[in-house]
Amino acid sequence: MEHEKQGFVSKYIFSFDHKMIGKQYFTLAMSMGFIGGILAVLIRLQLGFPSQPWPFLENLFPVGMASGIMTPEFYVSLFTMHGTIMVFFLLSLLPVSGFGNFLIPLQIGARDMAFPFLNMLSFWTVVPGAIIIIISFFVEGGAAASGWTAYPPLSAIRSAIPGSDLGQTLWLVGMIFFVASFTMGGLNFVVTILNLRTKGLRMMRMPLTTWAQFVVGILGLLSFPALAAGALLLTFDRSLGTSFFLPAGIFIGDTLMPHEGGTPLLWQHLFWFLGHPEVYIIMLPAMGFTSDILATFCRRPIFGYRSMVYAIWAIGTLSFLVWGHHMFVSGMSPFLGSLFVVTTLAIAIPSAVKAFNWLFTIARARIQFTSASLFGLGVVSLFVTGGLTGIFLGTNAVDIQLHDTYFVVGHFHFIMAGAGLFGAFGAVYYWYPKMFGRMLSERLGKIHFWITFVAYYAVFFPMHYLGVSGMMRRIYDPNVYEFLQPLQPVNLFITISAFVLFAGQLIFIYNYFVSMRRGVPATANPWNSAGLEWSAPAHPGHGNWEGEIPPAHRWPYDYSEPGKKRDFTPQWEA
Amino acid sequence: MADEPKGSRGSLQGIAMAVVIWAIVVLSSLYYVRYGVPELASDRGYLDTLYYVILGITGAAYILYQLALGYVIYRYRGDRPGAESSYWHESHKLELTWTIGTAAILIPIVFTGLIYWDRVKGPAPEDAVTVMAVGAQFQWDFHYPGADGEFGRFDPTLYAIDNQIGLDETDPAAADDWVLTNQLVIPVNRPTRILMRSKDVQHAIFLPNFRVKQDLVPGMTTEVWFTPVKTGSYEVACAELCGLGHYRMRAFLEVMEEADYRQWLSDNAPASVADATEPAAEAPSASAE
Repeated sequence: MEHEKQGFVSKYIFSFDHKMIGKQYFTLAMSMGFIGGILAVLIRLQLGFPSQPWPFLENLFPVGMASGIMTPEFYVSLFTMHGTIMVFFLLSLLPVSGFGNFLIPLQIGARDMAFPFLNMLSFWTVVPGAIIIIISFFVEGGAAASGWTAYPPLSAIRSAIPGSDLGQTLWLVGMIFFVASFTMGGLNFVVTILNLRTKGLRMMRMPLTTWAQFVVGILGLLSFPALAAGALLLTFDRSLGTSFFLPAGIFIGDTLMPHEGGTPLLWQHLFWFLGHPEVYIIMLPAMGFTSDILATFCRRPIFGYRSMVYAIWAIGTLSFLVWGHHMFVSGMSPFLGSLFVVTTLAIAIPSAVKAFNWLFTIARARIQFTSASLFGLGVVSLFVTGGLTGIFLGTNAVDIQLHDTYFVVGHFHFIMAGAGLFGAFGAVYYWYPKMFGRMLSERLGKIHFWITFVAYYAVFFPMHYLGVSGMMRRIYDPNVYEFLQPLQPVNLFITISAFVLFAGQLIFIYNYFVSMRRGVPATANPWNSAGLEWSAPAHPGHGNWEGEIPPAHRWPYDYSEPGKKRDFTPQWEA
Repeated sequence: MADEPKGSRGSLQGIAMAVVIWAIVVLSSLYYVRYGVPELASDRGYLDTLYYVILGITGAAYILYQLALGYVIYRYRGDRPGAESSYWHESHKLELTWTIGTAAILIPIVFTGLIYWDRVKGPAPEDAVTVMAVGAQFQWDFHYPGADGEFGRFDPTLYAIDNQIGLDETDPAAADDWVLTNQLVIPVNRPTRILMRSKDVQHAIFLPNFRVKQDLVPGMTTEVWFTPVKTGSYEVACAELCGLGHYRMRAFLEVMEEADYRQWLSDNAPASVADATEPAAEAPSASAE
């Protein structure tokens, strides 16, 4: 298969090459993640030092921090956009769109994705979405301020909060771009994996990363349209005077709203029908990366491959049946709540299977400690910590007290954000040589890991203490409440840890960009991995393999097979 | 392997990882014990029991798993003498054990939770004191039905500065109704039923000491009931983002002895017990229509 010579524009901008598109997603996701991180620092600044003046910040945020003190409406915009940017533009784009595009063809032995043009289009659809989301900070009223969940009427009525004006409109437009892009990507994943696998690569020989991306593609296709529909209907409510989410009798700012007949609960159902699968869209790839990384650096086959595949399917399927656990105290029928308890806690079973399989992969191993394997081990630790707190929240009777408190914030920062982020970091350290033909600095990588791991626990574990003590989410100043005042030292501790956590990420960004040019040149298979992607040259060109595509003779986890000379047998060797 | 990547074997990393994981487990668990749920003032203690049971089970799982993780990382770090990894990668017996084991632990939690949920969500007793909470940006209005026990009709077109809950005074049932702003007073040891509706956006009433939380949804009337068992003054919070003043949407809940409550009613409620002609303006924190 011949590929034409490419000019700058067709190579770096409107590229059809899945690897370049993957890298474009990396750049976009990391930029958005950096912004999301700054928002987190500002949120913690307010919670650690409530309403203290920081005069130098007035220059950066003349409205939101007039005279250096953060306004409540700016605070609400900050956590709304932090959630939106991190969930969609970092944690979905980096592991799914970024690594999915980069890895799927390499791992299944294909020259490219099934629809390269759609792939390019998908990237250039999400870019305007990201730009619109960022621009919304600079419009009158500021960015959207109804939480990343955008519950109406707050998000539907322009006078309900300053951010509900133009900021919310831009948020909705940005999300519709995002959904369009993500749906194209999902379709591409599913078609590619079903049709373009190399000779001998049966489904049950696929690496767990590809399995995860396959299920994620399906989840995205089935769930994101619900958000698109919801966002469109909400836009109609806001701009055309419809009443999908708005009942009669809403009275805001001395005005009786003309709406009638809708209900805010409808939005919650639509939003969480996406929102919960979305959690697994973020986590499943991280589980796949972790499995591949642990097998490689434990020099051991992944334990229970079959049950890992079944667990991915079980989690993916159940993820469509649990959205109501976000709505236990919403006014939804209590009977419906009970059903969602059963499906929610059922997810603990495949999750436990994964946790134990990882533990038994590490046991009887010969662990090599690289930045990638450290982050992989980190995922295992965070995943278990965050998974267990889910049992409290999934039990509706206990959720009554913990709902909308910092317990929830701690929970999802471990299980979704933490495991997702650590998985993505591990994956970057592991596959970087294939991405750029150079190695990342291991020394900086390890420093990055240690700061991130310790600071991550220091930031998010104490949030459970806050939640148990009753501290609500999304409050600008907890000290308004007497019963929350004794918690100020915990908040201060979290804030300082969060600053350290953020600073640690600068090391990663430095390492990532500097190693592109200065890193040690990589060999084709620097980690002695058995996966098919490592049969491609050190820095594969358009089309991935120069000659024939290698066939798959085995599964990708043949490490330390008895009676073999080397401690791994590559997938492409007979 | 001779061609192993540089820096991949350091014993320090493995030992450090194990020690750090163990340290995190110990510290996080020790500190957890210092933070309990807020002092209980309602009959919902069984929810606390379930919370502590789940805390015991998940806490044990957390500690055991993380200790084991630290141990296998320490034990199987790459540079130990004679290190070799095993090709063993399947055991149906083991995999079945932890699948069924997890299910076996979860099933009693699920059922206990559902039984308690049923108790919480069951119908309120007949003799409950009933109040309507009206949430608005950013205040709570507690609407008492007065002596007739019936709430007067409300009409959204009547919302005004001096009629925060939009009460229709032409409705006979409204004659003895009265409203407290940011203050709710109830008697101890008698069930309290709070109906709730929102004037504008979503809110959630959160009574941390009573294990009560319920969203207020525009266009719907939601409700909770519980029995306070301790007198005192408690904070009421809004737990659902409702705008820029969400953080200061606070009220107080006073739980009084039955006798004190009756006294308080006759002192404050404008048209309550007997005398419907007494003007409301005299009540310090109450306002009537």
